Amino acid sequence: MIGRQPHFPKKRRREPPVPPCVETGRSRLLITGALFSAAFLVVTGRLIGVTMFVEKSQPQYSRSISKAALNTGRANILDRNDNLLATSLKTASLYANPRVMLDVREAVNQLATVLPDLDRRQVHEKLSQDRSFIWIKRHLTPRQKYEVNKLGIPGLDFRDEERRVYPSAALASHILGHTDIDNRGLAGIERHFDQKLRDGQTPLKLSIDIRVQHAMRKELASAVREFRGIGAAGIVMDVRNGEVVGIVSLPDFDPNLPSKIEPDTRFNRATLGVYEMGSTFKIFTTAMALDAGRVSMRDGYDATHPIRVSRFVIRDFHAKRRWLSVPEIFMYSSNIGSVKMALDVGVPEQRAFLQKIGILHPSPVEISEIGAPLIPGRWREINAMTISFGHGLSISPMQLVVGVGAMVNGGIYYVPTFIKKPSGSTSKGRRVISARTSERVRRLLRLVVANGTGKKAAAEGYLVGGKTGTAEKVAGRRYKKKALMSSFIGAFPMNAPRYVVFAMIDEPSGTKKTFGYATGGWVAAPVVGKVIARIAPLLGVRAVDEKAPKIMREMAIDIATKKEGKRRLASF
Amino acid sequence: MIKRATIFWMLLATAAGIGLFVLKYEVKSMEGQLAAIHSETLENLEAVHVLKAEWSYLNQPARLEYLGRRLLRLGPVKASQTVDINDIPFRPVGAGDNETSISDSANSYPPAADQVPPCSP
Repeated sequence: MIGRQPHFPKKRRREPPVPPCVETGRSRLLITGALFSAAFLVVTGRLIGVTMFVEKSQPQYSRSISKAALNTGRANILDRNDNLLATSLKTASLYANPRVMLDVREAVNQLATVLPDLDRRQVHEKLSQDRSFIWIKRHLTPRQKYEVNKLGIPGLDFRDEERRVYPSAALASHILGHTDIDNRGLAGIERHFDQKLRDGQTPLKLSIDIRVQHAMRKELASAVREFRGIGAAGIVMDVRNGEVVGIVSLPDFDPNLPSKIEPDTRFNRATLGVYEMGSTFKIFTTAMALDAGRVSMRDGYDATHPIRVSRFVIRDFHAKRRWLSVPEIFMYSSNIGSVKMALDVGVPEQRAFLQKIGILHPSPVEISEIGAPLIPGRWREINAMTISFGHGLSISPMQLVVGVGAMVNGGIYYVPTFIKKPSGSTSKGRRVISARTSERVRRLLRLVVANGTGKKAAAEGYLVGGKTGTAEKVAGRRYKKKALMSSFIGAFPMNAPRYVVFAMIDEPSGTKKTFGYATGGWVAAPVVGKVIARIAPLLGVRAVDEKAPKIMREMAIDIATKKEGKRRLASF
Repeated sequence: MIKRATIFWMLLATAAGIGLFVLKYEVKSMEGQLAAIHSETLENLEAVHVLKAEWSYLNQPARLEYLGRRLLRLGPVKASQTVDINDIPFRPVGAGDNETSISDSANSYPPAADQVPPCSP
């Protein structure tokens, strides 16, 4: 409108001659008009732009609020079925600013009526300093917060903090670990994945199943009580992918109260403790000899006389004093036979075999409490002899479980893990023994439970197989005669193994019921049997008729009792 | 003519101004509502978070086992309590086809309408 040319009626009047000053005025007006119209165009353009298009510089109020989702701080930890194992809850922490406090003594006295466990003298001392920020008590309960507020003492205030909460308390304490008061992971998964848990809101899903965890913990605890042991350990592992579904070490602690943890309960016997495993090592010796083709199931060794090496004498616990076939050596747990078998295979070969199945390296699981195995510095013949029956080499139960898993699952070594693998993913393993050898090892393990030292591990219907192990504990440079480490390692179902189950009791004492025995077969085997009976239905393992002809055929084993002549066909 | 146009433009400008302010206040109050709803959502989320923690606390296997034994008399499943579906034999041909005896119908499920027992109060 302003840019419009001034209207000059032309027709009515004749145009007078235009003086130059008017000409100048007109052209100035024209320029001004053009400038104004340009300015208005810009304004119009901007207006359209602002109203119709969204620009980045524009504050997005509505979006900025909806993006502020719930920040729970440290990420949750879940079990394999999405049960909450660890979470962070908001709590209030009480602090004081002594500079604005009117009467410190009075304030402390009043606080003590609400917070009875407050150390009055210490708090009074702290409040007398010339500072503006002093923690009085961290993580108050909502009731305590209300009561402190009710006192109305000036200079007190709260700060919102997070507190790590473990709803299942001690159930998975060693694997989860715990955090300190500032939510830094100090042990277990909390420590190993500290950065990841701090950063993310995405929960961490473990391979642990709390039901399995509970079954194992309960059975171990009752065995410790019954045999007056000082501790215990138990592991359940999926042999088809290396996922650990249950891992328990006793005594355990409540991670909710990190300040009240007794030092000796922190010790994780399942992964940090290394022990001489005893006869369970014969699984490896036998598998190695069978796989190398040095012996067949029909071969055997003369176990009539104990073996003397320098100052040692190696004898059998259940001595038969005759020729024993390979299945018999395994069933009667003959040390003499195992030594001869290992020497037949060779000393470097034994070392290489144990290396292959992860015995000589610390277990690669995702917690910080991992014990390094104690291996002889020089692997001589005498070492090979004792290692063949599980002495002179200490490993953690975790390593044993992984090794045995590889022996029974068809011969594939899987790296153990505490983290659930995404469903549908195939695990890559490494072949360590042939499928045929693995199948024979399974028959041998079944033989031990059906007819040998591991009868108490049987869980009707689940075709349990396994091997007992009893070792005297080493104290300094000698063995403690009365202090045993009694263990049992089993797997089920033996025709197509799904899980390895391990149980170990530390320093058990025999009872009347066990005729004073505190060996693996009396103490640990029943734990494994009971655990399997409880967890198999939960894990979806179908019970079979152990007496069905097909199963009997699969588990049948030819025990050659004599070098030549009569053979006994055992079928279980 | 010019006067009329001016009045028109002035009215339009006033109306636009008033409209703009009304709109502005409406947006502001809606934003306030949004913020309120949002903080309420956050509060609820937080409550849900706490309840989840409590739920898993109450679902501790040891507690469930205790309650199951005490109140429901349930224990762990035994292998003898499970059966393979292939092991269940088919119903023999002709059994219970024609006449339905009393014992037959009493055992069959769902029961016939006239045999449904009256609900106890």
